[in-house]
Amino acid sequence: MRSVTNNFRLFWQGTLLSYRALFHWLRPVTYAASKIIMPLAQMLFFVFLGTYATGKDNAAFYIIGNAIQITAVSGIFGVTMSVGGERDAGTLPYLFGTPANRLATFFGRAFMHVLDGMLGVIIAFGWGVVLLGLNLSHTNLGALALTVFITTVSTCGLGLLMGCLSLITVNVMFVNNFVYFVLLIFSGANVPISELPAWMQAVSWALPLTRGIIAARSIVAGASLAQVAPLLWGEIGIGLMYGLFGYILFSWFEVEAKRRGTLEVF
Amino acid sequence: MNAIEINHLRRVYKTHTGVIKRTSKEVIAVEDISFAIEEGELFGLLGPNGAGKTTTVKMLTTLLIPTSGTATVKGFDVVKQADEVRKRIGFIFGGERGLYWRLSGIDNLRYFASLYGVDPEVSKKRIPYLLDMVGLNGRGDENVGGYSRGMKQRLHVARTLLHDPDILFLDEPTIGLDPVGARDFRNVILNLQSEKKTILLTTHYMFEADALCDRIAVINHGRIIALDTPGGLKQHVADLSVVEVETFGVPESVLEKLRALSFVDSLAVENNEQKQMLLVQTRRGAEAVPDLMSTLDGQRLGRVVVREPTLEDAYIRLVGGEA
Amino acid sequence: MNFRILLKYWRTILVVAEMTIRQQLMDGFIIFTILFQPIIIAALALWMLKGKGPDYAIFVVVGSGLTGLWSSLLFISGNSINIERWIGTLESLVAVPTPFEVIVFGKNLANVFQSLLSMILGYIVAAWLFGYSLSIVQPLWFVISLALTIFGFICFGLVIAPIFVMSPAVQQWQNGMEFPVYVLCGFLFPIALLPNWTTPISYILPPYWAAVALHGTTTAGTPLNQTLFALGMLVLFSVIDILISSRLFKVMLFKARADATLGLE
Repeated sequence: MRSVTNNFRLFWQGTLLSYRALFHWLRPVTYAASKIIMPLAQMLFFVFLGTYATGKDNAAFYIIGNAIQITAVSGIFGVTMSVGGERDAGTLPYLFGTPANRLATFFGRAFMHVLDGMLGVIIAFGWGVVLLGLNLSHTNLGALALTVFITTVSTCGLGLLMGCLSLITVNVMFVNNFVYFVLLIFSGANVPISELPAWMQAVSWALPLTRGIIAARSIVAGASLAQVAPLLWGEIGIGLMYGLFGYILFSWFEVEAKRRGTLEVF
Repeated sequence: MNAIEINHLRRVYKTHTGVIKRTSKEVIAVEDISFAIEEGELFGLLGPNGAGKTTTVKMLTTLLIPTSGTATVKGFDVVKQADEVRKRIGFIFGGERGLYWRLSGIDNLRYFASLYGVDPEVSKKRIPYLLDMVGLNGRGDENVGGYSRGMKQRLHVARTLLHDPDILFLDEPTIGLDPVGARDFRNVILNLQSEKKTILLTTHYMFEADALCDRIAVINHGRIIALDTPGGLKQHVADLSVVEVETFGVPESVLEKLRALSFVDSLAVENNEQKQMLLVQTRRGAEAVPDLMSTLDGQRLGRVVVREPTLEDAYIRLVGGEA
Repeated sequence: MNFRILLKYWRTILVVAEMTIRQQLMDGFIIFTILFQPIIIAALALWMLKGKGPDYAIFVVVGSGLTGLWSSLLFISGNSINIERWIGTLESLVAVPTPFEVIVFGKNLANVFQSLLSMILGYIVAAWLFGYSLSIVQPLWFVISLALTIFGFICFGLVIAPIFVMSPAVQQWQNGMEFPVYVLCGFLFPIALLPNWTTPISYILPPYWAAVALHGTTTAGTPLNQTLFALGMLVLFSVIDILISSRLFKVMLFKARADATLGLE
């Protein structure tokens, strides 16, 4: 029982740490700009481009796709930096020196960004309704909220893996930006997956966001939770898979670093 | 004409604290300084950290605007005629920054040569000459990122001489250099002086000022507290001897007792990791030693040396207190 | 600054540009912004606009090249002065006889030039990956438009950089300025799609006129006088920007020297 409360405490501390780290350097104005304006700007760009390309009737396709994709900002930039930031802060040796349960600390960091990511998506949907005429009258809002949550979690899972990778690569920002933009293609946010060549489709299905976006589009069109459940299960699975990969990698790093005595390199 | 003239120069900084309720505080970096430097002089500005040396240099090099007062370099006002001043001066701020680490040494020099308006034909010849002069011959093609600290400092010297300025400002140039590197650097400075350049050198290394400078101004808390030749400054302490006592951590109460002794003019404490050096200035010379020892009874002591005062001691006397 | 100064310091400008390119050569973020991001946008847009036919390929190539130009100007040129301060070289750059605007002009030239690479690469992607044949409708006017675009962007950058330095508040919105310009300047879709009240905003953005000219000379269907008008506006804005920036730099440098913000302490 004691270890459960301990682990919960670690989890929560990880969350608080991420919270403070997230907001400490981020001034309120910058935060507002990135949470409210940036998603809107990106969405407007792709919605206009998309409707220019395929007609005004398809607006919802692009609105939903880009709104959900916004979670990648938190998942990829936010989570990756909070894990990778350990190295820059030089605190990795200290972290590795503690008997703290790695799982709890590790996943605790991501949790804050899950909340942050969800907020971003909700705001994006808000813009879609208010500015772009997104019709949510047939939507099961609860199912949509659940879809947003699950997709956010799974993107953060990818972020955890990338965070670990960033511990060994030097050019974190390059990788982050690259993955973020590539997701714009592979996630199906702006291009129907069915139109991509077969090898790209395979990659799409192996990534987070893909199933979540399809599910969200279905729900807005009137589908029920039961109908999209298989997609959501898939999304959870993907997210957990990446998260666990990240965790395994993280643990492996620790062992390797201690064995080779290269903790400072990390 | 004086090379540099400073008249009641003053520089005040405003600092802000707090994010929501902002309070501002004024810090006086330079309170009121006036002096003049002659052409061809090697002039030293000596003072502890935070005395206002770097601030003064930044004002003279047009990087900082004085709060009040005026300064001219070769007759040109540093604020109103900044461009004319910039053509005629070179400067180095000690430290590792200020170079492009992804460029080679030569490229750094080519870049600044172009910015200083040096004719390409001229810089083609001058760059190798300067690299040779500062001892970076053959290392010019390497990226500056791989240079040692001493090499970077020397590249700074080369950079500052590209346009052959008449006046040089060297702000703590030997800081962070190992003793050999620092000594080599001082030789470079002496060579420059022999070329009739006017040099303003700031430092907090006394022996450096003593060895190099024609005249020295001692600055503390933004004010000039003395201005004279090194010999003249040492006259301030001509009547004194200095007793150096090596100790290993003397409590403040004992130090107070020492200071209170009638024959002790001043007591400075130098901390050097585990060891302390007490510098006692006294007119009694060696005779003071027994009384000093009795006051220090019970303390663990190392060497005790009685010596002639140096510029450092004059400085301590002027500045007063801790070294 | 005026054109006389530009001409006087032409050699210095080229040296600054050369050194800027060399210094930035290995920077991951810069490589991403200049190369990868525009190519990804190009690929995305090519897919999305497939239904419009193969003639649209050149439109996408030019448009995504413009997105690269803008992102590069916003992030790289916009931050260039602050980066010099961070490296510790800003003081050395200010204290030289060369006017500071000339140095920034050279840096912007380097960045804009590097961004053109993305346009070329986009061209290659479209031609090779998608198999589109890309023909430029009015090659001569296209080259002229490109030259004026380069100049126009550099001059716009001369206004952006000092504003960012003097107003951290404005710079905080930097991230939010990227996509809106893509939208408002008609890079990848005509601004006719946007609500009418945004049109005046488009008109005062130099990249808009650049887009009109470049699209007009590469895609069929644009009358020449429309292109000429756009080029005229581009030149006009360039001149205005040079004049404004001259004032801005004076103010910025004076303020920096008075507030002691040239160095990091």
